[in-house]
Amino acid sequence: MTREEVLEKIRKVIRDSVPEMVGSELNEDTVINTETAIDSMGFILVICKLEALFNVRIPERQWSKLSTLGDVADAIMKRLPQA
Amino acid sequence: MRFESFSHMLRHWAETSPDRPALLFDDGGGVGQLSFAQLKDAVDKRADELRAGGKTCLGVLADGSLGCVIEIFAAAQAGLQIVMLDAALPDKVLTGLLGYADVDSLWGDEELREELAPALTPGVKDGAGKLLFFTSGTTERSKAVVLTDHSLCQSAYNGGEKLPLSPEDRLLCMLPLGHVFGFVCGLLWGLSCGAAVALGRGPRHYADDCVFFKPTALSAVPLLLGFLIQRRLFNPELRLVLVGAGDCSRPLLEAAARMGVRVSFGYGLTETSSGVAISVSGDPFAMEICPDDTITLAEDGEILIQAPTCMMQGYYKRPADTAAVLTDGVLHSGDLGRFDEDGKLHITGRKKDMLVLPDGTKLFLPEYEAELMRALGHPELAVILMNSRPVLVYSGEADEKELAEKLRPLMAERPRGQQLARILITDDPLPRTATGKIKRWELQQKMERTL
Repeated sequence: MTREEVLEKIRKVIRDSVPEMVGSELNEDTVINTETAIDSMGFILVICKLEALFNVRIPERQWSKLSTLGDVADAIMKRLPQA
Repeated sequence: MRFESFSHMLRHWAETSPDRPALLFDDGGGVGQLSFAQLKDAVDKRADELRAGGKTCLGVLADGSLGCVIEIFAAAQAGLQIVMLDAALPDKVLTGLLGYADVDSLWGDEELREELAPALTPGVKDGAGKLLFFTSGTTERSKAVVLTDHSLCQSAYNGGEKLPLSPEDRLLCMLPLGHVFGFVCGLLWGLSCGAAVALGRGPRHYADDCVFFKPTALSAVPLLLGFLIQRRLFNPELRLVLVGAGDCSRPLLEAAARMGVRVSFGYGLTETSSGVAISVSGDPFAMEICPDDTITLAEDGEILIQAPTCMMQGYYKRPADTAAVLTDGVLHSGDLGRFDEDGKLHITGRKKDMLVLPDGTKLFLPEYEAELMRALGHPELAVILMNSRPVLVYSGEADEKELAEKLRPLMAERPRGQQLARILITDDPLPRTATGKIKRWELQQKMERTL
């Protein structure tokens, strides 16, 4: 799976989970905390859905370091099973 | 029941109701249980091992698991000083806390223990019975509040007197045990009433823990309560929610009531081993004072607390800080309140330069703003709360994207709830008092009008 494909799935999960984000522009530099309507509980929900979708586990200690959508994509890419 | 210690509590229930479930937990996809007799046996066995190990001060990287609960009770029984740590804190912060609190051994995630091992100390001589909790805005310079298993048991008794649980109840513990509200109101409240406590499975299961454990009662911070209500995640058996550790909006409490769940609101501080006042009926914001406590108001409305059975011993190795807030057994809370005509306490604001966030954590503003000033090389800024989230107001010319980029490493070191939700740039100077202190309320109103 390419990084762009991962990013596209992240955008979909965010828009499905956070109604306020429908129609919003989301690129890899989008800062989750300051540029989206996702609060800390919404973030947990999004991360859990992404973990299930990609079958990966991102350690909770890493969560606060995931600042942008690109950071989330990198954290998932790093843990994707090798094809 | 009033218990003198964790050991006393476990011994009592193991003798009087040995087979009654004490702890419920995820046992490979089903609900497993440990009876009071089994829990006491497990604690006794582990306490013997800890005594033989010769360590004096245990840092607990609290994850709320069954093993974690047994370790805490066993360490208290074995006479170790216990330091409750939040495993989500950055390594740098945890390292500093281990040194300050004299930790010579660690319990928790193996990988993290290995990383932190070089920071362990020779230990402590007089720590028996002490449990150290950090106030909920923990940083490298945080003060540890010295409580005891006795003071924590008295706090649980106070809560149980106002909000009794029965042995048939199931209390769901979803909050971190490293936070005193989570420890007392998520764990001890249930056990001291002889009820079963279901150990929540962590943030990944916030959405399905109610359905999994079918609790009749739970403790929550406002952010978690909002999450559960908005997504209608309550189970039909749930009848009582105790909310604390932060400001809670009236619409949220009313929404819970419409779902058939009674909501009580608790007020307390880490320094008082958790709650000193709880609402038990009618208006959830009108709180009755707990049996062991006395609350008076200073001339400026500050809440002054006497809690002889639950009060902290002091801040660990910080006598001057202790003396600044605790005089002759009276704690100056830094919160403002009023009594209504029925003698019930209402919280009206905060005297301290501090924001209490809906996830129960606290943001100490002078320290937070100093970090932001250093990172940006700019002194004219302030942090306010908008829509319950921290927002930076920057006075001067700047580009929002550039500021966000400069702050990124700093934000990554903070829990997500404390990270800035917005950066607002203004050409106007910040409103200040004659002594230079920021008029935060005025600034907040101004920015809300601007937006």
